[in-house]
Amino acid sequence: MKASLRQTMSTLHTWTGLLPGWLLFVIFLFGTVAFFQQEISQWMRPELTPAPVSAKAIETADAILRKDGAGADDWTLSLPGSRGGEGFSISWTPAGGDRSSQQERMLDATSGDLTSVRDTRGGFFLYRMHFDLHYMPVMWARLLVSLAALAMLVAILSGVVTHKKIFTDFFLLRFGKGQRSWLDAHNVTAVLALPFYLMITYTGLVTLLFTLMPWAISANFPSTDAYYEAAFPSGPKSEPSETNAVLRPIPELLQRARTLRPGFEPSYVSISHPGNAAAIVRIWPRTETLGGHQPMLYLNGATGEPLAGPRESGAATATKGVMIDLHAGRYANPALRWLYFLSGVGGTIMVGSGLVLWTVKRRAKLPDPARPHFGFRLVERLNIGVIAGASAGIAVYFLANRLLDPAIAKRADWEVNALFIAWGAIFVWSLGRPARRAWVETLAACALLYAAIPLVNAATTPRGLPASVMAGDAIFILFDLMMILTATGFAFAARKVATHQSKAKARSRTRQPKQDFQEVPA
Amino acid sequence: MTHVATALLSLGGFALLFLAMARHQQDWLRRKLPDQQSRRLRQAGFALLSIAFLIAGLGLGWGYGSVAWFGWLSAGAVTIVTLNCNRERILTWVRP
Repeated sequence: MKASLRQTMSTLHTWTGLLPGWLLFVIFLFGTVAFFQQEISQWMRPELTPAPVSAKAIETADAILRKDGAGADDWTLSLPGSRGGEGFSISWTPAGGDRSSQQERMLDATSGDLTSVRDTRGGFFLYRMHFDLHYMPVMWARLLVSLAALAMLVAILSGVVTHKKIFTDFFLLRFGKGQRSWLDAHNVTAVLALPFYLMITYTGLVTLLFTLMPWAISANFPSTDAYYEAAFPSGPKSEPSETNAVLRPIPELLQRARTLRPGFEPSYVSISHPGNAAAIVRIWPRTETLGGHQPMLYLNGATGEPLAGPRESGAATATKGVMIDLHAGRYANPALRWLYFLSGVGGTIMVGSGLVLWTVKRRAKLPDPARPHFGFRLVERLNIGVIAGASAGIAVYFLANRLLDPAIAKRADWEVNALFIAWGAIFVWSLGRPARRAWVETLAACALLYAAIPLVNAATTPRGLPASVMAGDAIFILFDLMMILTATGFAFAARKVATHQSKAKARSRTRQPKQDFQEVPA
Repeated sequence: MTHVATALLSLGGFALLFLAMARHQQDWLRRKLPDQQSRRLRQAGFALLSIAFLIAGLGLGWGYGSVAWFGWLSAGAVTIVTLNCNRERILTWVRP
């Protein structure tokens, strides 16, 4: 018998959604959080006060580099953007040294004084986790993420076909009706931000284009390097010459860049062979507009004269650039950034509710609900361990940032380890408990962990909520409020699961233990 | 300003589209509106959403504006869903 198109699509949707579902949940969760990676970094580096880099700070940087970095092969200056989260840092690699011998200093952006910031990867780790995962080679992680994203695209499209009443049920969300409610929640979160999911999944695939389709390069170029040289030609190269020449002052070089290209905002400067007549200054622009890619600027270090940059890439690269901009949302102003975030939250709930729906739908049909088969138990346990575990992990990552001793070695790594230790602990704990209890307890644990963050922040830094309100520090105020809101959300979820259980129990006491779930046409 | 206008128009547009549906008319107005009226509500709803798109595009640029428009559409629709979930509470508050 031939199944109807909708049935076929429904089966496809079920399996392309379920199998990579837990990875998709992690990708969505971390990706959503990463829309605020700069703000999170700012919170995780409370020593920093975001401010534009002053002329004085740049002069100090120039002086330090000339004094301590004399004879170095290259100098770099990293200038923080207006969103905060990063300090003004400079570095140099001593002559003949390799990457490990690189020296780095952090300067106060306003005064130029040397400062130190706790060792943390900040929001950047959450961003990298979104596509590089952790504890595994990056290429493998990206391949897994690409495959999950492909499955996601298939699941979105087949989901649209499967959803029978996409328009009639557009606004419908009914609570307290068991399977029907889970289906409603999955449908509503999926439909209301559907354009966003299509955009984010497709552009996400574009960011990992050559992970998924390496043959486009291997069929046309002798090597990957040859492709990159053709697609993104490197700029002028310099071999140090015999003649020495004093490098122009760095403030003057930056001023030169601004005059050469009005509106140019430097984000990163690298100077190769400073002090040599062949010194080259490369300046990366800060481009935070949609499709507003700007070429780098090259200056002769000894004279300050501009050098010709490489040929600019063509329309295909520009299109790819716009898609990546759309995906990362760095161009977005606060209002749009919040909309990105809300849509991301919707996506996280969509994936999570889809995973739970799989078990809810099948629980009714189990021959013996008290002793489900292995596949069912596996999905159920993975759901709890991943949904609650990853959420708790992020909370612990923030807590570790405040609580870990600033002096311990590899502190930044231990913050990350703390995330996974907490995740693992939640997973193991949930395995030993009956499913419903496991949900209630792990969700309650998430609520407690998130609620603890503002308290721990107030106890360990002088930047607790009252102080932030007094100082009008928007990032710290909103961060604390978001933690409280997240904690409330988890507490609400835990309560819902807990009260739902008592209802089911009440029912089974008064009625035959026959399941009374309504069979909903799929 | 453009964001506020786009947000309100999206919300208003979805409110009209919502009220154009028989099921929700029954729930909120306790009667079904005649077809003619429902159709007008639907047209007005789509008109508001289109105006929201124009305002977002003209105010923020067409690229940026269309992304923001999609975002506000989702936000508007989510607001309507949330309101609909709390119907009992709102109705007792409006008509004690």
